Amino acid sequence: MSSKNRSLLLYCFPALLLYGTFVLYPAVGGFWYSLTNWNGLNPTYDYVGFANYRELLTDHVFHRALRFTLRYVLYMVILQNALALILAIIIENLRRGKGLFRTIFFFPNMISMIVGGFIWLFIFTRAFPFFANAFGIAILGQSWIGNPQYAFYSILILSLWGSVGYLMVIYIAALQNVPRALVENARIDGANDWQINWHIVRPLIAHAVTIGIFISLFSSFKVFDQVYALTGGGPGRSTQVVSLNIFTEAFAMRSRYGYASAKAVILFLIIMVITCVQLLVMKRKEVEL
Amino acid sequence: MSWQTIKTLSGRLLIVLFLLVMAIITLTPMLLAVLNSFKTNGEIYTNILSLPTTWQINNYIDVFRKTHYLRSLMNTVFLVVLSVSGIVFVSSLAGYKLARTKTRLSQALFVVFILSMLIPFHSIMIGLVRVANQLKVQGSLWGLALIYVGIGSPMAIFFYHGFTKNVPREIEEAAMIDGCNGLQLYFRIVFPLLRPITYTIVILNTLWIWNDFLLPLLMISNREKHTLLLSTQALFGQYSANWSQILAILIMAMLPVMIVYLFIQKHIVSGIAEGALKS
Amino acid sequence: MKKMLISFMMLVSFLALSACGTRGDADTIELNVFMSFPRFQEEFEAYFLLFEQKMLEEEGIKVKVNLEMASSDTAQQLLQARLSSNDAPDVYTLHAIADIPAYYEAGYLADLSDAAFTDLVFESVLESVTYADKILALPLESLAWGYLYNKDIFTQYDLTPPQTLSEMEHVVSVLQENDQTPFLLAFQESWIPQLMMALALGAMVNSEAPNFIDNMNAGTGSYADIAEVFDIIDLIMANGTDRAFETGGASGSADFANGAAAMWVQGPWMSGSILEVNPDMNIGLAPLPVTNNEGTTMINLSTSTSLGVSPTSENKDLAIKLLNFILDPEHSSDLFSSLKFAPLASVHEYETFPWIDEAMTYVEAGKAYLERPLPPGVTDETAVALQEYYLGDKTRQQVIDAIDNAWRSAVD
Repeated sequence: MSSKNRSLLLYCFPALLLYGTFVLYPAVGGFWYSLTNWNGLNPTYDYVGFANYRELLTDHVFHRALRFTLRYVLYMVILQNALALILAIIIENLRRGKGLFRTIFFFPNMISMIVGGFIWLFIFTRAFPFFANAFGIAILGQSWIGNPQYAFYSILILSLWGSVGYLMVIYIAALQNVPRALVENARIDGANDWQINWHIVRPLIAHAVTIGIFISLFSSFKVFDQVYALTGGGPGRSTQVVSLNIFTEAFAMRSRYGYASAKAVILFLIIMVITCVQLLVMKRKEVEL
Repeated sequence: MSWQTIKTLSGRLLIVLFLLVMAIITLTPMLLAVLNSFKTNGEIYTNILSLPTTWQINNYIDVFRKTHYLRSLMNTVFLVVLSVSGIVFVSSLAGYKLARTKTRLSQALFVVFILSMLIPFHSIMIGLVRVANQLKVQGSLWGLALIYVGIGSPMAIFFYHGFTKNVPREIEEAAMIDGCNGLQLYFRIVFPLLRPITYTIVILNTLWIWNDFLLPLLMISNREKHTLLLSTQALFGQYSANWSQILAILIMAMLPVMIVYLFIQKHIVSGIAEGALKS
Repeated sequence: MKKMLISFMMLVSFLALSACGTRGDADTIELNVFMSFPRFQEEFEAYFLLFEQKMLEEEGIKVKVNLEMASSDTAQQLLQARLSSNDAPDVYTLHAIADIPAYYEAGYLADLSDAAFTDLVFESVLESVTYADKILALPLESLAWGYLYNKDIFTQYDLTPPQTLSEMEHVVSVLQENDQTPFLLAFQESWIPQLMMALALGAMVNSEAPNFIDNMNAGTGSYADIAEVFDIIDLIMANGTDRAFETGGASGSADFANGAAAMWVQGPWMSGSILEVNPDMNIGLAPLPVTNNEGTTMINLSTSTSLGVSPTSENKDLAIKLLNFILDPEHSSDLFSSLKFAPLASVHEYETFPWIDEAMTYVEAGKAYLERPLPPGVTDETAVALQEYYLGDKTRQQVIDAIDNAWRSAVD
């Protein structure tokens, strides 16, 4: 082994040791269980090959959870980034109160989504019906948790509330990196706000957008806490996301730990493929701009 | 006043209005939660917006006593400090060296670290509990911190790796010529250079571990070692439908984070933004 | 900033370390108890203190009971993770009928047949914690249940608990005419709608369809064979309160206590939370009619939460002493009456509750049956499928198919 590699391993050893023990080893174990019929309880189980994966092909409940998750991811990626970017641009152009607004919008990121979820549960089930009666706002009187259509938006609102500030802060920093002189010059040349934003600012913050989309893709595929706290996947299974489906399959429903592990492997592969594609495509675009 | 100025003015007004509405939407849930936590349950049912007739401080005293608030708080702080220092230590070493070494091994290691960021936690859960039990690290805050280091280091390594690439080699090379070598070089020269990204990593991981729930739940059964979130959630079952008490529990669970945020929010916000962009 | 951070960290670690310094003596035996009864935390804590005292006084052993109270939605995964990773608590709660067979087969339950408490527990209750000819747990909650009704509302409209489906329809129409919602629907937690099926199925299996479970296990049966069970379920769903999916067990108790509905398909285990909201509530308990055959209208007798001991416990003797102490002649009655549990052992001498007495009148008249276990997963599938049925997501046929499938994959 070259001396370079030897010193590399030396530096990486503590990280590798803990990472290997507490992440890699259990993860490989998880893959192994996905090839068995273990129920999470018995000391013994059988190797079943790829039977679990075959069963996944016809599992409508899983397919539905997958569709629901994809829909959630789509909404999140678009709305989270759009809102964050709009807020960042507005705040960056404020003369006063920049710090105040930034503080306000980032605030929900500090809170555990389990806690935030319960607070919104209070808002959806107690405050909204009250506002609907008191001020006659019919839309608020809907069953925000109990009606699957609205429950989707409830989950979305909670997620956006808890995460827009994070991306906004990143976009503000990116906007601050845009050289003032460049913008001033363009203005002297007669460009309007819109032209400045599109032709000068956009290419310069493209990198931040890549990061923003990556972060929202990555976190919304694994969404769990928000759904768990707000609807628990209900009513029925109508708001069950994949991670929650895995969770109930492993522990609550039939205790099919092996089968649940197979689902987790699939989720892992999906996230991997999609984020890799996203990064490659966006990187190429960034270069082109 | 020209038509143009009126248009810009009204445009500005609209924009500010939009901002204000968004700010109200963001803050209202918290404010309503605080307000209603001081009311009786009956008052909550009749009017969400009214001020409490008498301020129910008992809700809070109750939560404070039943959660052993100070003890839980100390446990959480201890856990977070230990885990975060561990993450910073092991990942800065690894991330820096991975960025500076260009061999096939370094690339392979990097990919392995990064891929694991995509693993859903629930799929390693049972395996993790087993390993923790075999190694006898279960049930102690020290052991839990070790696990957090293991789970948290890939992302920190990713950040350190990205940041190191933007740090010029010249400084290290100059130090090397002055006779600094290996770990000495790292501690004296490199680690201070990585400080901006270290702040980011400290903030992100502190938030994550502070707000994490499932892992402590699995690992810590002894109530004397419960973290804040664990001991507050244990109260949930006791106060079933009583919103005023539940809200008081929630507020108490958030209180430390809220206070810290008010004092050092500037550092938190800038740390997060820079970290994300520079890696 | 950095200096501040470092000094803060040092201060904190110092405080935390000093906090860790206060540990118990070496000769204290720690007993880990896992329970899923968060609403009874204080009662059990106080009771275990009594146990610690007794052990110190009578046997000179210092015992410390570490009680871990898991909320009902995390309890099962937590316990399962502990058991399967060889980190079993010494004593833990489990469901007598649903869990004992699986837990025993997996090797997580110690044989308690020789424990002293077995002489005290009533024979009929002991039967429900017996599996493979061994007594495997101490029963805590012995149940005689059907649905709950508001006695005051029934008296007001001159109604008595109906004994057939058409009588139930009559009760419902009388209530509707008087603008009184007949049934409380609290479907947010899926185990609650599931109770309707548990009662209806139990009634059918013990009267008109005695071979149903055997047929299902043999793969020749289907829920379509007992499709009558949906008649009562449809009736309840069509005549219930609004916002069912926003109402859980706790808020349902509050609503029921406040008279939001006349009846609630729910067990007496909720009586505590109901009385907490309205201490003057007159709770009634009656068997749920399923068909027009009066013989199917029966009370369900079962044992739910029980205490098992881990066979790998290092302090098995002490764990069994703790179980025996639960039925301590001096203290047990106070515990069980404060938990509003039904008496289940000869040491229990306390005034029972009116709804339990009411249920017992049916039992004494022979209108009762012992609950039988269903294969694992069937109950959970039923629970969610019924939520989807109420939602209109699934038709009756689809519910039948879903449960049939769950049963098939469980016995395969």
